[in-house]
Amino acid sequence: MQGLKLSAVSKFYGTGTGKTIALEQANFEVGKGELVLVVGPSGSGKTTFLTIAGGLQTPSKGKVMINGRDTATLTAKERTKLRLTTIGFVLQSYNLVPFLTVEEQFELVTKVKGHNLAPARFNKLLNDLGLKQLLRKYPSELSGGQQQRVALARALFADPEYVLADEPTAALDTERTLQIIKLLKKLAHENQKTIIVVTHDLRLEAVADQVYQIIDGKLSKQ
Amino acid sequence: MFLAIREMKHDKVRYGLVISLIFLVSYLVFILTGLATGLSDLNKSAIEQWNAAEIVLDKDAQGRLPQSYLSAHDLRQIGKKGAQLAQFSTLVKSHNYKENAQLLAIKRQEFIYKKLPLQEGKKFGAARTVVVSAKFKQDGFKLGDSLTIPNSKVHLKIVGFITASSLNVAPVMYTSFETLKEVTKTRSINGVVFQHSGDKHLKLKDSRRYSIAQFIEQLPGYSAQQLTFNFMIGFLFVIILIVISIFLYILTLQKLPNFGVMKAQGIPTGFLIRNTLVQTLLMSILGVAVALGLAFVTALILPTQVPIKLDWNEIGIAGMGIIVMSLAGALIPIRQIIKVDPIQMIGG
Repeated sequence: MQGLKLSAVSKFYGTGTGKTIALEQANFEVGKGELVLVVGPSGSGKTTFLTIAGGLQTPSKGKVMINGRDTATLTAKERTKLRLTTIGFVLQSYNLVPFLTVEEQFELVTKVKGHNLAPARFNKLLNDLGLKQLLRKYPSELSGGQQQRVALARALFADPEYVLADEPTAALDTERTLQIIKLLKKLAHENQKTIIVVTHDLRLEAVADQVYQIIDGKLSKQ
Repeated sequence: MFLAIREMKHDKVRYGLVISLIFLVSYLVFILTGLATGLSDLNKSAIEQWNAAEIVLDKDAQGRLPQSYLSAHDLRQIGKKGAQLAQFSTLVKSHNYKENAQLLAIKRQEFIYKKLPLQEGKKFGAARTVVVSAKFKQDGFKLGDSLTIPNSKVHLKIVGFITASSLNVAPVMYTSFETLKEVTKTRSINGVVFQHSGDKHLKLKDSRRYSIAQFIEQLPGYSAQQLTFNFMIGFLFVIILIVISIFLYILTLQKLPNFGVMKAQGIPTGFLIRNTLVQTLLMSILGVAVALGLAFVTALILPTQVPIKLDWNEIGIAGMGIIVMSLAGALIPIRQIIKVDPIQMIGG
């Protein structure tokens, strides 16, 4: 079965009186070609949800199924391969490799994955995200917003089935924010991608196909 | 390779520092190796020129040629199977030049004489003629020079130069037993050298056979000298291992967030390990190559009194050793790369 599904997923840190519940009994389901928004304030468990959904960490309880496979049954190597071939992460701290230029960030994906977007689609992506002029620059030479767009472009360049983005518009102005969220929606619909965006930006709700809310680790569908 | 080269190009100072350290230690290793080889050559190059397998010496001489006097019985047993040899350490002078030397007596019909690697002039023949190491020529002696010997009225004439060769840290001169007898007033045969080993028919009473390797080990001071050098070189290899480990460990610690990010993107750990190994390999090859070049320049400009000899085999082994040690030094950082958890590095 294609799609991403979380069933009664919980994540705890620590034990006894020091136990913290980051995610509690979360149920989530998304199919192909959808843009899903998970909205919540800072510290509500958004990033925990995203990293568990993407197989970066395992839940304390519950099940995460990606394309019909339980991620708990995967070895670390298989999870790495899943992230390389199926999932594209856009992380909160932009997470670009500091010693690679923008162009080389894409080249690294090609080197490791072996294939990527066709040149025409890549060019369009660069144009849409306004990155054409930045290809020779290092991350340290870019603004926060530019780094965020590069991180997004790199995730999309790998042509994954799922894109999981953590606050991808946090450093962008309103115009650029709306432009990017519409671009993500278009990608989801036209290319049958599943795009999950966690954010505290309520302006994005209107564009999303589905909206979830997360507060104190509790996830609910709106 | 992709990440390794780009990272080194981007962080030139950081990686330049590690390369400089590898270069400095490698340079020291090469110079010490060159000195060990040079000093070893000063002790034994004449012996190696004989290209022999065994030597027979007096069994009480503890393997040392000057202390050995072969008995008449054993000389009869040996007959004409080997090349007879006598050694006399002396100082020779000619005009303003003087030189410590090992005067070796050999027979014209035997293999050592036949194999003398003549560079200039001719081999000795007439009485009181000598053929000497090219070291004499470097020090100012010429063909036809007349050499005087302390406490002797005999004058020796240089008739030829052979490829530089020395024994016990002094250049050699070859002459006949008759000439040596005139100089020393005694006739003795210190040893007999054999081209091939394993003549089981020899029944020696007062002597014993040494392989050439054993004979070289018994040269005065030779083993202690070589062990000292080997110890220093070995210690430098350990220093390289420690230095590389520490530097790569610190570099890796600084890069853990990057490794975490790349792992989060699905870049396999094996790819990151290969990158670290290639980086270490490149740094060590660069450091070793620069050190090698500078060591050869140093050997060229050092005064001839410094016995340095950069032998390609020895230097090659030392260079490979340094590279292997550097790669071994990358093992601790590799363990860190394997252990790095992307979640801890990226937060969440």
